[in-house]
Formats: sequence, structure tokens, C-alpha cells
Amino acid sequence: MEKVGAVMVVGAGIGGSQTSLDLGDSGYRVYLIESTTSIGGVMAQLDKTFPTNDCAMCIVSPKLVETGRHQNIDLSINCEILDVSGEAGNFTVKVKKKSLYINPDICTGCGVCGRNCPVEAIDIFNEGIARYAATFVKYPQAVPLVYAINKECCIGCGVCAGVCKAKAVEYEREDEEVDINVGSIVLAPGFDEFIPQQANKYGYGKYKNVVTSIEFERILSASGPYAGRVLRPSDGDIPEKVAFLQCIGSRDYTGEGQPYCSSVCCMYTAKEAVIAHEHQHEVKPTIFSMDIRAYGKDFDKYIIRAQEEYGIRYIRSRISSITEVSETKDLKLRYETEDGKVIEEDYNMVVLGVGLNPPDDAKYLAEKFGIELNEFGFAKTDVFNPVQTSRPGIFACGAFSQPKDIPETVTQASAAAGCVHQILYEKRGTLITEKTLPPEIFVAGQPPRIGVFVCHCGINIGGYVDVPEVTRYASTLPNVVMADRNLYTCSADTQGIIKEKIEEYHLNRVIVASCTPRTHEPLFQETIREAGLNRYLFQMANIRDQCSWVHMKQPEEATQKAKDLVRMAVNKARRLAPIDRIKLEVTQKSMVIGGGISGMVAALNFASQEIETHLVEKETELGGFAKHIYHTLEGGDVQAYLKDLIEQVKSNKFVHVYTNAEIESLDGYIGNFKTSVIHGPKKERAEFDHGAVIVATGAKEYKPKEFLYGQYKNVVLQSELEELLNTDSVIKNKKSVVMIQCVGSRNDEHPYCSKMCCTEAIKNALLVKKLYPSTEVTILFRDIRTYGFKEKYYRKAREEGIIFLRYDEDNPPEIITEDSSLNVKVKTAKAGDLSIPTDLLVLSAGIVASHEENEELAKMLKVPLNDDNFYLEAHVKLRPVDFATEGIFVAGLAHCPKTIEDSISQANAAVSRACTILSKDEIEVEGKTAVIDMSRCIGCGMCVENCAYNAIELIEDRHFGLVASINQALCKGCGACSGNCRCSAIDILGFTSEQIYSMITARL
Amino acid sequence: MSFEPKILGFLCNWCSYAGADLAGVSRMQYPPNIRVIRVMCSGRIDPKFIVEALRVGADGVIVLGCHLGDCHYLEGNYEAEKKFDMVKKFLKLIDFDNRVRLDWVSASEGARYASMITEFTDHIKTLGPSPAGGDNPDDEILEELKAIEEAAGSDRMRALVGRERKITEQENVYGETVSLDKFNEIFDLAIKDEYNRHRILGLLEKESKSVKDLAKELKIDSSIVLEHMITLKSRGQVDFGELLGITPTFHKL
Amino acid sequence: MTETVLEEKKIDEKWEPKIIAFLCNWCSYAGADLAGVSRIQYPPNIRIVRVPCSGRVNPYFIIKSLVDGWDGVVVSGCHPGDCHYISGNLVARRRFAILKELLEFFGIEPGRVNFMWASAAEGERFAVLIRKVTKIVKELGPNTKFQKEWC
Repeated sequence: MEKVGAVMVVGAGIGGSQTSLDLGDSGYRVYLIESTTSIGGVMAQLDKTFPTNDCAMCIVSPKLVETGRHQNIDLSINCEILDVSGEAGNFTVKVKKKSLYINPDICTGCGVCGRNCPVEAIDIFNEGIARYAATFVKYPQAVPLVYAINKECCIGCGVCAGVCKAKAVEYEREDEEVDINVGSIVLAPGFDEFIPQQANKYGYGKYKNVVTSIEFERILSASGPYAGRVLRPSDGDIPEKVAFLQCIGSRDYTGEGQPYCSSVCCMYTAKEAVIAHEHQHEVKPTIFSMDIRAYGKDFDKYIIRAQEEYGIRYIRSRISSITEVSETKDLKLRYETEDGKVIEEDYNMVVLGVGLNPPDDAKYLAEKFGIELNEFGFAKTDVFNPVQTSRPGIFACGAFSQPKDIPETVTQASAAAGCVHQILYEKRGTLITEKTLPPEIFVAGQPPRIGVFVCHCGINIGGYVDVPEVTRYASTLPNVVMADRNLYTCSADTQGIIKEKIEEYHLNRVIVASCTPRTHEPLFQETIREAGLNRYLFQMANIRDQCSWVHMKQPEEATQKAKDLVRMAVNKARRLAPIDRIKLEVTQKSMVIGGGISGMVAALNFASQEIETHLVEKETELGGFAKHIYHTLEGGDVQAYLKDLIEQVKSNKFVHVYTNAEIESLDGYIGNFKTSVIHGPKKERAEFDHGAVIVATGAKEYKPKEFLYGQYKNVVLQSELEELLNTDSVIKNKKSVVMIQCVGSRNDEHPYCSKMCCTEAIKNALLVKKLYPSTEVTILFRDIRTYGFKEKYYRKAREEGIIFLRYDEDNPPEIITEDSSLNVKVKTAKAGDLSIPTDLLVLSAGIVASHEENEELAKMLKVPLNDDNFYLEAHVKLRPVDFATEGIFVAGLAHCPKTIEDSISQANAAVSRACTILSKDEIEVEGKTAVIDMSRCIGCGMCVENCAYNAIELIEDRHFGLVASINQALCKGCGACSGNCRCSAIDILGFTSEQIYSMITARL
Repeated sequence: MSFEPKILGFLCNWCSYAGADLAGVSRMQYPPNIRVIRVMCSGRIDPKFIVEALRVGADGVIVLGCHLGDCHYLEGNYEAEKKFDMVKKFLKLIDFDNRVRLDWVSASEGARYASMITEFTDHIKTLGPSPAGGDNPDDEILEELKAIEEAAGSDRMRALVGRERKITEQENVYGETVSLDKFNEIFDLAIKDEYNRHRILGLLEKESKSVKDLAKELKIDSSIVLEHMITLKSRGQVDFGELLGITPTFHKL
Repeated sequence: MTETVLEEKKIDEKWEPKIIAFLCNWCSYAGADLAGVSRIQYPPNIRIVRVPCSGRVNPYFIIKSLVDGWDGVVVSGCHPGDCHYISGNLVARRRFAILKELLEFFGIEPGRVNFMWASAAEGERFAVLIRKVTKIVKELGPNTKFQKEWC
């Protein structure tokens, strides 16, 4: 069957959006199918995100807007999958596009229908805390901003059709069925949260002040029902004592919930507690948890801050019962402390940290797409490729395959895209359409001829602002040659009118006074470009979102303000100049630094797309960290996998392997790097060009100084034990094996969790028990962090009789030696002081990054490291494999401690991100960049320091001496440099100082 | 002194008013308590008129129109019936519904008119004076009536009552008929909600109050009051005010 | 404040201040949009200038605004840590800390020039801040400092 250069992405949360953007940017046609009426998924519901407390909406909405208007992404909302046929490379998917009863092409999203709808239904987005109309949009910033009628609530009164001035309401609209032909499919339907059933022991649904964490998220949100005030539902008071209960519906063997760990609850609960306290200092949160599973990058630091800075109290316990105090609606919690005391305490409010269930329609999707689900009802994926489902050509990403947080989801989203490349790379660019545009009209040097279009926006502007008066006023302003007004300036017919007027009046600047440029500027820019004007000869005056809507009761003042805003826009427009988007050629080759699993997976992925790749390994042998790992916890044979990888890498003609290699120099920028490598025993030099870099330099196992390591042969590392177990039988005679967790992790020197040590310990402990059942195994831990489905093995270890004892950070175990025997003295939380004799002490040593090595490379690449010497990505949440410097990506342990599977995902993700560059002959970069006037620059270098993108460097100019030079390929146009320039030598195209001054002087 | 109720009548021009005239021409006697306002059709009666009458002290209000099917304007009286039912539902919330009545009198039914007025006057007499009337009307009742008047005149209630017949008896915009039960479920909830919301707005008129204060005064659960506050806030009618300890107050905008 | 200014204020009781606001595109401008979408009302004295990042706002813009007779100036960016451009708002913060002192030294009342943060989700907060700033500037009266004394 002929392969098809299109991909279907099912589910448009953050994961699906990322996959779509990656693939759309790489030249595929993407069909993004969403079951609800807007994209953004759960992330759009969140107030803040851990561990940075970033505002979720601030970071996600630009991404959603981009997804919504990407020319290669075909977004369909309110859809249902009916049937799937075909095979990898060529699938046909039958999709039902359910009617919105509102024409999405006409709806302007003004919301008048919703405001006039007499039916109040429950607002799902706000988790039932607020009421909503049957004519609704999920949230104010929704993408696409199109209203829909919820037919189930609608009584069909017809009010909305009457009030819609755009005539977008079409009750007779019918469902539509379409067949979509694609080469590959990515499933990203996300998860559904666990909802405690009726008559649950927490009183959820019965007691008003018991809410789920997702409901609490809406309570916290500044755009939520309480406008960010932390109030309790029973009476609107601020709850002073708030209890957060962990593991609701997770790690639950009673049958009510799920047996696995939901992975994200420990962190989101800590975040919710911190934010609640931040929003309202009266709130004093207490968190009840079993283990604190803060295993991700910088998570532990967040927990420490939560406790130390925000005074959040942690209690290690699971609540046994909750009852309501009827007069106060407070809640009485009963719990047992670790040392066995039973305590009763009253709280004003209880938040249930609910777990992540598979999506409600998981079974349906699995059946339609012909993929298998695992024992927990999530998508079953490959042991060594967590995005590969059981059916070739169909991938899964995000929480659909296992509960996971946002960065892991985004990583997997890109990884899925990376795997799609391997199937469809030859078909890139075959199904996308490039618009043919007329040549640009030359306007330089001509006097400005400005056309102003003032929008009524139905009644949204016209109802409060005197639009005819604003239009008349605009026509009196200097250089304005025409001013017109329209009912809806964004409608398709008005675009035609704008084009006609440009021609008729020879306009060379266009102003639209309407809504916000954040959503509508690209549309109008496209229109004037089609009429032959440069995109940047356009300016908007926001007289709706920032004028008519916020001064509804002051029509006169609002009109005055609208006039001012139009005048300011005209002033700026007079000074607008065309901006060219620079095109850069791309060297379609890559370099991967590091020959461990991540590096090899990345190199092979590139190679499978026929992208020439240079793989640079510091050591003599390929293999990296995985050389010492025999199996994964889930049973994957690491050594066999590794051997296969190495063979493939060595035999692939697209991969050039350099071992014993050192990077001598690395220059250039996105699409155009040049690297020189010294390699091999003979120290040969190799030089090559490449368009992207993947940093996969890995990390090392910590070599403990503590616990007599290196002094006694009976003290070994977890990795050494694994080797012994797999190659030797010396463990056979051991009576008691004791493992100590968190050696070289979560301490002052290494204040982070190494993520895999708990898993490794349980894996090896189980193997000891399997091989030598009579051997006693004891694990001394601080928290057992078997997140996700790994929880199953923790459970199994307990069933196998492995003893787990918790110790406190402040009371670490001590080793007492007598002759050749060892005694581990430990103060445990449950059983008090113990002394455990052992004949094999195993240390679960953490993962550490080498400061010297990483710093050297980081400097060369101009990318940052974090405090723990791991590489710091561009954005912790949404750009987990990118660096701020474009064209450079990170994968594997170099980024932070992680499992083999996660490393593989990240490697594929980095490839996908790199392919957004390498799939093109040339890339177009943003035109609104900084420019430098060398004659004014004194070369102080302030701008170099302020630039977060390393886009500026000081150069020696023939005429001006030492001056700053801007690399427009890297510049994002933020203007931090310009704002600080003491000589006004830097300006920002599109926002020049002259333009802004002209707006300031328009005060009159 | 015996109680002489003040009764206001809204009579349609073509049937009931003519019927009243006929009673006069025929010299039929009936109690002198009624004052009549002539309207062209009973469908003209804005729900607010009835409540306003009660609010300014009428002890009873009677609305009379043509018999169903006889309307001079074809269906005006059917609309009148729906609107009146709504007012009655509102008034039931404060136990005032028995002071209003809707009935039909044709141009030829002078005797029916006289007996109806006699009977209604007696009925109001047994009820006694309206707490909203007299020299010292009960402030709370006045507040309640004000809330009802505003709620009854709100866009939402007008939209619902105005389309009730079309969507429950004929067909809605989808060509379907909504069952009266489903409609009433939505309608009755809307009545209760809008009444309480306008009560809240009334109580906030003088000073800002907390959810708990409001709940106490309205005798409804504070969690419901909070829900109403969110709705009112999204409508731009109230906003958060001062924080008293841990209790936020709301004020009217 | 000089007596003439006080007198002027008395004469023109209906005086309304004009305030210019430089808002970063990604957070504060979006927050202002959200206030609009949520129909949260605030005083109409403010005129918004969109800039890519609060880091783009040159101190000259603020001084120029004051010289040109704007009665108040607002610069609002993303919350620290939320910057779309990684650290532009932090650069701005450092810059404005110094500028504020300088302006105070010049005799510009502290309330006239305001630096704040508002996220894309904080439509309500944006409105509250604008209400507050408008109130303060109104109380301060017209900005005549630069014009009368130096220009």
C-alpha cells in the first residue's frame, strides 16, 4: 500500500497538541481530533504547575493558539471515532464530527449567546462549582474560540439565534461523517480522574467541604469561580485548616480504587497546598501521605520549600475515617500515626488527592484502533519504547499509557512524533499546501496611506462604543485616507472588502480597531499579505477586550478611549516599515553527543530517516550507563537490547561513530553548526557540518564515601549486586542482605532524588528472593518511590517477605563492624531502634552529573546547567527536550536521572524536535527581531548578558571596533537587550522605540 | 372597623371589560373594593404589574381575560396564563399566591363578573389585610416582593416564560417538543434561583454582607448562597468586598 | 505640590487622569483581554501599549510618557519565573528598581509610576490593579512636574 504523508492525532490536550505541532512543523498534514469542544485538556484547567509554580494558562495558551491556526494542522472538535482500517503507512479512519449547532466558521466567540441563554447547566470545566449556559465555550481563552450548544441541556427556545448578530447559530446543522486517510496515528486521549463512588469513606458528595484535587484546582484558579480566592464551598469562608489526603483511588487494593501509583498526586498536592497558602495566608495546609514521591527533576527541592518556606505540615498516615461536624460543617479526621497513636483532628476543608484513571473511553478506543490495553486498562506499550502500542503504526503518548506529569507527556508527545518520522519520512511535504502569494508591493519611501477598519463586533463594541463616531474621528487623523466600519471585521466577506479597499485607495498601512491582536492579528496580516502588502504594515487597536467590554457602563468614556487607542495605532502605523522574514539554509545532518542508549536511539532514528548523523562518544566503547544494567524491573533484557543497538549503530551507513572522542570546537547556530572532533586512539581530527545537536552525555553512578564502601568487600553498590546476581552465585550463601536507599541522593550535596534507585533495589531484592528464597532481604528507605505501574513490584516485594523499614533523614543507619561481620543500626519510624546483622550491605547509590565535564560542554554549546549540574532545558514544563538556544536538544540522564524507557522516549523526542529543523531545506525565522546600530554601540556587553537566547555576541568591527552583533536566527525579539541599552543602539523591529514614542506622544 | 380590602383588576378590553360594563348596564351589584385598569388584552399584563400592585399595597389582584380560544388577538390569553402561572409560582415562595387570581369573563358574562368579584373580595377579606399594605408595611415582605418583581422581569425568566408554549406545545428550534415535566423542572429551579438571587441583591443594597449573613437572612443553605454569588459575580452584579477575618463579604455593583 | 496645581485641581473637578500602560504580550496583555472577556469593569483612564516583553520597556519610554504629560504610567509583565522569554521580566525588574529610585529623586511621586505583574489568568487581578492605580493617580492630581519645571 502507498504510504500517506498525513498523521492523525487523537486527543488535543497538551500531549496531542505537541505531537501535532512537531509533525505539522516537519511537513506532515496533521488531523487533530478532539472529543470535546476545545483543546487544551486538563492542563488548561490548572491554576499553576509544579515545580516552578508557572501559571498554566500563561504557558499553555500560546501553544494552543499556535496549534489552532497552524496551516498544516486540521483541527476538528466534538468528534467521535467510528472505524479504523488499514495498516501502518496507510490507515483510513472514519470520524463523526458531531454538530455544534453553531457554525464554527462564522462564530466570532463573542459570547452574547451564552449570556442570554436562559438554561443554566453545570459547568464541567469548572468542575461543577459554577453554573453555565447550554450555549457555552469551555473557558474564556478556549481554542478554537467557538461556542457550542449542549443539546442535552438545551430546550430549543431559540434565544441564541435571535441574539447572534453574526447569524452563526444553525439548529439544523447535522453530524458529519468523514473518512480520513493517514499514514500513522498517535493516541493522546489523556486520563480521567478517579471520582470516589457514592457512599465512599471520605464523604465526598455528601459533605460539602470535601472536594477533589481537580475541583480545588479550579477553586485556586484566578480565572476560576472564586477568582482565585480560597473559599470553602459550604459557606464561602476561607478554610484555615485544610487537609490534603493522598492516594485517593491510587495504591488501593480494596477494589474501590486502582492498585497502581498515579505518579503525579504527591507533587500536585504539594503545589496546591503551596498555592493555597500563597493565595490566602490564613490557609494552613496539612498533607496526609504514605510516601512522598517527588522523584522528578527538582521535585524534592519543591517539597523541602513547601515544608520550610510555606510551613506545610506532612503527616505520614492514611486517613481511616472522615465525619462532618454538623454545626460548623468542619470535618473530623481520624488517623493513626506511624508510631501507632490514634488521633482525631478537625479541619475546615478536605481535598482529596484523586488518582489518574484510564480515560473513560479507553476500551472503546482500544477496540476501534485495534490496540491492546494492559492489566490496568491503559494502553499497552513496548518495554523499550513507551510510545509504541501493540499495533504497528499506532503510537500512544501521555497519560493514556501510564499516569504521568506534563513534561513527561510533552516528551512522549514529541517521542511519538519521532517514531512517526521513522515510518513516513519519505512522505514529508507531500500533503501540505503552500499558498502562492502575490509579490509584495514596494512601499518604502512613500507617504503613509492608512486605512482604518472599525469593528462593531455585533453589539460587543457597537453596543457601548459609538462606532460611527470613532470611524469619523479616524478619518480626520493625518495620513488616514479611508475609514470604514463593519459589523464583523473578522468575517470572510470583510476580508474581501479590506483587500478591495487596499487596491482602491492604494493603502500601504492597515489598521483594524476591534478585538485582541493575540487571536486576530495573524488573520488580518494574512489578508493584507494576500493583497500584496507586507504583513508587518498592519496594526490593531484593541477596542473590545480592553475597552467596550470593560467600560460597559461608561459609553462616553469608552468612546473617548477607543478614539485614543485608534489615534495611538495610527501614530504607530505611520512609522511601520516592512519587515522581511529571514530565511536560513539548513544542513540536513545531525550530531549526537554521547553514545549511551539515548544517544544511540537518537542516532538510529535519524539514520532511519536517512539523516546523516555524527555520534560522538567520549569513551572507547558505546553503551554508557546501561552497560551495568541487566534487566528492567518489568523484565526487559537490557543487555540484549544494548547489544542490538550497538550493532545497528556500527553497521548503519548514515551513522558516523567517533569513540574516544573529544569535541575540540563547536560553532554556528540553528541549521548551521560546524564541529571539530578529536577521536580514536590516534587522536585524529574530524570536522563536519550539521544542523542540529542532541546532548545525550549521560551521568554517573555516585561512588559513596559513606557506609564503609570500598573498605569492606561485603559492602557493594546496587549495580554491583546486579552484576553479581547475573554472573555469579556468591549471593547464594548470604543469610541477610540489607539495602540502604538514598545513598548520595536527597542530601545536602545532592538534594535531588535519583528516581531509579527504589526500582533497582526492588528489582534486585526480588531477584535475590527468587534465586535464594531463604535469604532475608531488608530495605531501609526514606520513601519508596515506585511510581506508576512499578507500584505492582513494590507490592510483590512485600508479599515475597522483603522487609521494608523507614528511617528519617536525620537518623541515617549506622554500620557497626565486628571482625568481618556487619551490623546495621537504624532508628526506624515504626519499630524503634533496630540492629540488623548482615553479610551483604547493598548501597543504592544515586546518579550524579559531572560538574567539570558538563560545564565544559555547556559553555561550548552556550546552554545552562542547573544547580545539580544536569542540563537545564528551555522550559521545565513545555519544552523538556529543547534548550533555549535553538537547534540544540537534550536527552537521557544528561537532563536528569530517569529510567531507560524514559531516556528512549526523550531521545526520540529530541529527534522529533530536531526534525522540525532538519526536515526543511531552509527555515524562516521571526522577523520581529532586534537590530543594532553599530555607530551608536559602545560594546559594553550589557545586552549579551541580558539575552536569554545567546543571540548576541561582541565582535570586532572593522569600522566601529568592539560592538554587539545580533544573530537574527536566534533572536526572539523580546527586547530585553534594547530596554537596557545605554546608548539606544538596539531597536526591535515591529516595536521600535520610534513607534512606541509616537504612541506615547499621542496622548492629547 | 371591618377590613375593606383594596383589590386591583386588570381587564382586557374586548371581553372582560365589556363584561364589567354589562354588569353595570344590568345594574348588578358587587362589592366596591375593586379598581379596574383596562388593557387591550390580558396578554399585555407584564408579570411585573401584578407584583408591583401587591408591592404598593393591593390586598388582592385579579386578572381577567377572554375565555381561552376567544381572544380578540388570537392567543394573547394563552400567553397571559403562562405569565400569570409564573407570577403565582414566585408568589408561592412567600405564601402570597392566594392573593392573586386569573380568570376568564366574556363580554356577555356580566353576572359571572359580578359574582366573581364578590367571591374574590370575600376571599381576600378572609385572608385579611396584606402585610405589604397599610401604614406600616412589613419591610421584609416588601423586600421579597421587590425581589420577585425584578426576578419576574429578568431576561432569563422572560425568555423562558415567553417560549414555554412554543417549546412544550408546538415544537422547538430542533423540531422537537419538550415535555412539560422537563420544562417545569428547569422553570421551577429558575424561579427559585432568580428569586433568591434578587433577594441577595436586595439585601446587599444597603451594606455588604457575607455568605453566612445572607444565608441566615434568607433561611437557605449557605453553600447555595455561595453558588448564587458566583453566578451574580459572573453577571457583573456583585463583587468581593472586604475580608472580615476569614469571611469575605460581597457588595453590589 | 505647588498651590497653583491645587487650585487647578479645584477648578477642574471633573479632571480625569490619563494613564499609559505598557503590557507584555504574553501575560499582562492576555490578562487584560481576559478581564474583557469576563466583562470585569475598571476605570477607562488607561491606554494600553502592547510590547513583546516587559524587558522591552526602555526607561526612556517611562520618562517620555511623563514628559509628554501622561498622569500615570503602568508597566506590567509576567510574574517572575513565567516570562515567555525566559528572563526578560527579571531584567525589567532590576532595571525598574533603579529607575524608581531615580524618579523619586527627581520628585516624581511614587504612585505615578507603577510596576506590576499580572498573568494571563489574572483578569480580575488586572482590573483590581488598574482600579488601584487610577485611584492613586487621581489623588495625586495632574502630572505637571516635567512640563512646568523643566520643559
